[in-house]
Amino acid sequence: MTADYSGTQKLNYLNNGFTLKSWLLTKDHKRIAIMYLITISLFFLAGGIFAATIRLEMLTPASDLLQTGTYNKVFTAHGILMIFFFLIPSIPAVLGNFLLPIMIGAKDLALPRINLLSLYIYWIGGLFTVWALLQGGVDTGWTFYTPYSTTFSNTYVMAVGLGIFINGFSSILTGLNFIVTVHTMRAPGMTWFRLPLFVWAQYATSLVMILGTPVIAITVLLLAIERFAQVGIFDPAIGGDPILFQHMFWFYSHPAVYIMVLPGMGVISELISNFSRKKIFGYEFIAFSSIAIAVFGFLVWGHHMFVSGQSIYAGLVFSFLTMVVAVPSAIKMFNWTATLYKGSISFDTPMLYGLGFMGLFLIGGLTGLFLGAMGLVVHLTDTYFVVAHFHYVMVGGQVVAYLGGIHYWWPKMTGKMYSEFWGKISAMLVFIGFNLTFFPQFILGYLGMPRRYASYPEEMQVLNIFSSAGASVLGVGMIMPLIYLGHSLIYGKPAGDNPWLLPGLEWRTSSPPPTENFEVMPVVTWEAYEFGEDSGLDLEAARAREAAKV
Amino acid sequence: MNIPRYLGVFAVLVVGTILTYYAATVDLDFIFPGANTLVALLIAFTKMTCVMLFFMHVYWSPRLIWLSAVASFFWLAIMFAYTMQDYLTRDIGVFMQ
Amino acid sequence: MSAHSETEKFHYHEPGLQHQFEDMQQQEESVSIGMWMFLVQEIMFFGGLFTAYLVYRSRYPMAFAAGSNHLDAFWGGLNTLVLIVSSLTMALTVFYAQKNNRNMQVLMIVLTMFFGAVFLGVKAIEYTDKFDHGLVPVAGWNKRVPAHAGESHAAVKPCWEVDHNAPAEEHPNPRGEFQFTDCSLVKQAQDGNYLTAAERVGYFSNGQIDGNKFRDKVRIFYYLYFVMTGLHALHMVIGLGLMTWLLITAWRGRYNEDYYMPIEMSGLYWHFVDIVWIFLFPLLYLLGRHFMH
Repeated sequence: MTADYSGTQKLNYLNNGFTLKSWLLTKDHKRIAIMYLITISLFFLAGGIFAATIRLEMLTPASDLLQTGTYNKVFTAHGILMIFFFLIPSIPAVLGNFLLPIMIGAKDLALPRINLLSLYIYWIGGLFTVWALLQGGVDTGWTFYTPYSTTFSNTYVMAVGLGIFINGFSSILTGLNFIVTVHTMRAPGMTWFRLPLFVWAQYATSLVMILGTPVIAITVLLLAIERFAQVGIFDPAIGGDPILFQHMFWFYSHPAVYIMVLPGMGVISELISNFSRKKIFGYEFIAFSSIAIAVFGFLVWGHHMFVSGQSIYAGLVFSFLTMVVAVPSAIKMFNWTATLYKGSISFDTPMLYGLGFMGLFLIGGLTGLFLGAMGLVVHLTDTYFVVAHFHYVMVGGQVVAYLGGIHYWWPKMTGKMYSEFWGKISAMLVFIGFNLTFFPQFILGYLGMPRRYASYPEEMQVLNIFSSAGASVLGVGMIMPLIYLGHSLIYGKPAGDNPWLLPGLEWRTSSPPPTENFEVMPVVTWEAYEFGEDSGLDLEAARAREAAKV
Repeated sequence: MNIPRYLGVFAVLVVGTILTYYAATVDLDFIFPGANTLVALLIAFTKMTCVMLFFMHVYWSPRLIWLSAVASFFWLAIMFAYTMQDYLTRDIGVFMQ
Repeated sequence: MSAHSETEKFHYHEPGLQHQFEDMQQQEESVSIGMWMFLVQEIMFFGGLFTAYLVYRSRYPMAFAAGSNHLDAFWGGLNTLVLIVSSLTMALTVFYAQKNNRNMQVLMIVLTMFFGAVFLGVKAIEYTDKFDHGLVPVAGWNKRVPAHAGESHAAVKPCWEVDHNAPAEEHPNPRGEFQFTDCSLVKQAQDGNYLTAAERVGYFSNGQIDGNKFRDKVRIFYYLYFVMTGLHALHMVIGLGLMTWLLITAWRGRYNEDYYMPIEMSGLYWHFVDIVWIFLFPLLYLLGRHFMH
């Protein structure tokens, strides 16, 4: 299955039809993934601009760049765009969509039309939200807490809420599709315990999507009705309970945190094992810890509500379970570390991102335990400590994993190799810039700087300047891939089918893959991550072959 | 499944509906407070089980279908239980007025 | 493009089989699991509403009982029976598809649609009744009943002595507000000493039963009633759309013992909507009825 660069271009998913219709009405999961990639990048850019505005405002103690009301709208827009339109669909809809069928040896997802439908729903929800943001935005924060969002806010809460409602169904349909695909579309010989861990992670994510997302859908629908009809169950004036909104909101939105990080963990499992050229340590433990995170993730939502009027006994239970849910994440960390041990590690760009993830996620996860402790949280609630914590998990976790995954599979997706030099530099910049941005925020939060305010006391300016400076480094690190990856599309070297010399099924088809993924239905006879002597994947021998060819 | 069996399930559902109606008009609080609620829910669960097993053919379905049906109710139970553990404990202990 | 034609040849498909599957069995399995996953998300979707119901009913059981008693259990019960019959005809549609009987399939689909429509008709009657009696929880969405001079005695009487069977004209409602003047159940519960902690705060002002505060809690019940039954009715409408499509394709003889997945899947959806109603009926119409004596 070697690629043929000498004569005619092989037919692949990219050159199989060039018309707009062949893209917009495609049922090919790879094309849908590419369209997701483009849209998501746009949303990421938009969310990033809002983030930059926030950091620019925080450069000085006074609220001079933005008025306080505008500032509220800016951080709300940042949160909504990044969470609902970037982080949640990022890895599942782009990398999952592209790779899940290939990794299990299927021709497509089980329900390709549903897949296309989910893209369109995502587009409609996105347009709706962007329209509402352009009309004037919302100032409630991405959490839409009642009664602020129902009674007091004069902004476009209903429109944005409906945008998120619509978008939720995109995520539900993606999850549904993945579950069906993993159950029914595996190639002969691809047993459950031969699945790449990326697939396990996607499966666990899909469970959360199906079980959680409908609850946020009904919650924002109730919120929208309540605003529209001026009566509702969250209105304390008629005996309703605003905290019920928080319960229903976090029933989804806490598991959604795992939607945002589980796929990243899947990518990291791939990266760590493959770039250590070693079978992953404790495959079953990593696989089942994904499922465990998906299940336990539903039992801890109350830790967002420790100080908002929830009963102290419920708080105790949620606090305890929060400590429990850290265990499966820790299992993953230990297994990845054990995989690195005595591996032949190569520090290519994806691996740099992978190692960066391990460090950043470790900090993000451990500070999460601080916030899960009921006593400490009284001091830390709604401070920058929280902001730093979830950025370490979301950006340090998911975004870094996403970028690592994009680099790792870029040769497969496009058939072109990007510049390894610039790749490494950008990975370094992201890591350094990220830490510079968010580590000072831990200190700021510990010192008591509250989140969501446009101004702060003057003695906190130094740390805020560090943070803003770091944000600009981070920004450069994030923009760079856009440039050199785009550049590689035209000028990049042809990557070949298996540039990293890896055993996974996705590396055994051509790059870019043909529309039907495999010319012949693959039959899987090997375990996942099998770097055996006879697998033909010995790195040294392969490099020698390459050198001999030149 | 054959037609008599479908009609049999149907009969159970109709009887359940009539029964739940009459059970609701009788005050069962003498057994224990809230007995009416329990009876109504038990009948509803029975009816639901009949519909799922026989009309929706879960009885003859692969284990995955069973699992998804059970799992969805399990998750519902999580949502109910963990929300109610807050509401039921709010007025006791240190928060007692 | 020889590679392409080779792939075409390699993947010869039987009719009705989509390109991504190897055989019909795989396709049927996928569609069936997909549908069940969809139902799981539907359960969670309604589950959010049931959670809200559970929370408020446990807080304000008397308000919920009072609101419930003003729903007509006859219509609710009738609708339950109607839906059960439609579920039976739906199940029989699948049965006759398996038996290759086109005419009976068509008949059963028509019957299912008929009973579905009857259900929605009854729902419309009920909604109209709520509109007429000022029981729609949204201000201004009720029938406007002009105030007549000399009929203000209803406001003078304590709310627990109001005759709730009085005709609508006795409750002037010039601005179409939500109206609920009967708080006899609170009195009853107070005397029987089974008010919940939330109720002891929620229904009283200065130790006196406050009709307005009680009305607000009943308003929550009616809000949930309309949202729950409204979303359920919306699902029925979508179901009727599915049935129309099934009717057309079944009329053309599309379904037989080898291929009846669309009927089976639409059936799952229809039965699911039925199950939701099986729970809505006792929860909304019946619980608290035994207090009426």
